[in-house]
Amino acid sequence: MFEEPFRWMEAISTRHSYVREKLRKGQPVIGVPYNEGAVIIGFSPQPGKIFEIYDRIALGGLGHPADVERLRMTLLDMAHAEGFNRSSKDVTIERLLQFGLAPALKQNFEEIQRAPYLIQMLLAEINHEDGAEFFRVNYDGYWEKFKQGTVISGDKKVSERIQKKIDDTDFVSCTLNKSIQSALRIWEEGRKKPALEKESLKSTDDSDELDDEMEGHPTDLKEAFERWNLEVGILKKNTGRKCLYSTLSESEISALQSEVIR
Amino acid sequence: MIEKFEKIHSSGDFIELLKRSGNYPQQVLSGISNNKALEIPQGTTVLAFHYRDGIIVAGDRRATAGNSIMYDRCDKVIPIDDYSLMAIAGVPATAFEMARMLSHNFEYYRRSQLRAMSTEGKVRALSKLLKDNVAMALQGVGGVSPLFAIYDTQQEKAFLYFYDMLGAEFQILTHVATGSGSPMIKGILEHENLWGISSLGERSEEEATSLSIRLLQTAAQFDSATGQARPEDKLYPTIAKITKEGYQFIPDDEMATIYKSSMSRS
Repeated sequence: MFEEPFRWMEAISTRHSYVREKLRKGQPVIGVPYNEGAVIIGFSPQPGKIFEIYDRIALGGLGHPADVERLRMTLLDMAHAEGFNRSSKDVTIERLLQFGLAPALKQNFEEIQRAPYLIQMLLAEINHEDGAEFFRVNYDGYWEKFKQGTVISGDKKVSERIQKKIDDTDFVSCTLNKSIQSALRIWEEGRKKPALEKESLKSTDDSDELDDEMEGHPTDLKEAFERWNLEVGILKKNTGRKCLYSTLSESEISALQSEVIR
Repeated sequence: MIEKFEKIHSSGDFIELLKRSGNYPQQVLSGISNNKALEIPQGTTVLAFHYRDGIIVAGDRRATAGNSIMYDRCDKVIPIDDYSLMAIAGVPATAFEMARMLSHNFEYYRRSQLRAMSTEGKVRALSKLLKDNVAMALQGVGGVSPLFAIYDTQQEKAFLYFYDMLGAEFQILTHVATGSGSPMIKGILEHENLWGISSLGERSEEEATSLSIRLLQTAAQFDSATGQARPEDKLYPTIAKITKEGYQFIPDDEMATIYKSSMSRS
């Protein structure tokens, strides 16, 4: 039946709806620059949202944990094989996406007999000119590049709100601590529906559905810190080390918590 | 490039990844029956010993092939990851490849398994690479005899190992040297440890660095395959320390000062 173009398009459309529905509860992951590099933050009920991929590359993911793991391993394999066979300088997110992951994701998505990947990814990189770059990758292989920082979120409206705030904030001149705090505040603000949006949603069926999904989820930073795990991945340039990635320790996150919620 | 990586392999073994993707180096050369076929650069002196804060690792910079000096700025002390260093003696091509493989192995494991490989695992990983290289070593074209220094952050202790060409590992509690110039300085190291101003393990970083420079200078006096420092060309030995802060190389500008003071009698 899929030989007919219309049926195939219908199947793809259904697939899009299915994946979006599955990703809807995905919690935002935010990647922004700071004066010495880049930082990725995200809250989640279970740890396992932010990872190191290669010397200058970090990954934030949302979606099905098994799919996040599968694509994380694929990126790790490609990056390390390439870095060994050529040079670590040849391992860039653009190459990994353009010639590796993106075509494979698209192919997987359009092979409608196969299960689609339930995933969105945010990748951050310190390039060899020491600039921070951010990439957003969709489940169908579509990817975009950002200089100012970006966000992934299961909820498109939350994502749009956060992206606008990221674009309006000068992260590049902020210290690490200030950048993380600003990103956390944006995370919190992004979850709050503007009054106008609430009104318009009341008249649609989506209103109840969205509220049901958000029910039980933390709505502010205080609650998020209490109930969920905050993960922070940092890429810091000029360390003298080849691996730029580090994470905040538990005590550093506790200190951050008390500063943010004060 | 993604087709090669389709299945999930979560053992964190980089060597297995190289084999799976067809990138593991060839271990046996066909058509070479004995060790007379090629002249391979392999003259060296590298040394390492425990000092007060960790381990000092030092090496000269010369690479030779027979009587010819092939290169005078060779780095024989190579960082593997933030907490380990390898000093190489033997065939540079194989040694550099091993160091790169080991480095990727440790980082790949740490990133994929979300935890660092244990010290024992790292020590054995180098042993395994040497065992895989036995055929090349026996053919006389790929023999490597490295030193491996590592700081274990959990035990808060530095460990030093010496390997033979077949992959046997020996833990060193005091000092070790390898390469063509090593016989000239092993006795000095032992003498310094037993009857010097203090045992090697009690010496400060400055004392340990200074001794390393003097030892390499001594080795170079007697072994043509070991290169002397040439301050006029800003050419100094490579010296690195490994402590609880990880590895750190002594930068060239500091080396100039330390070298100058080390060469005077004190």
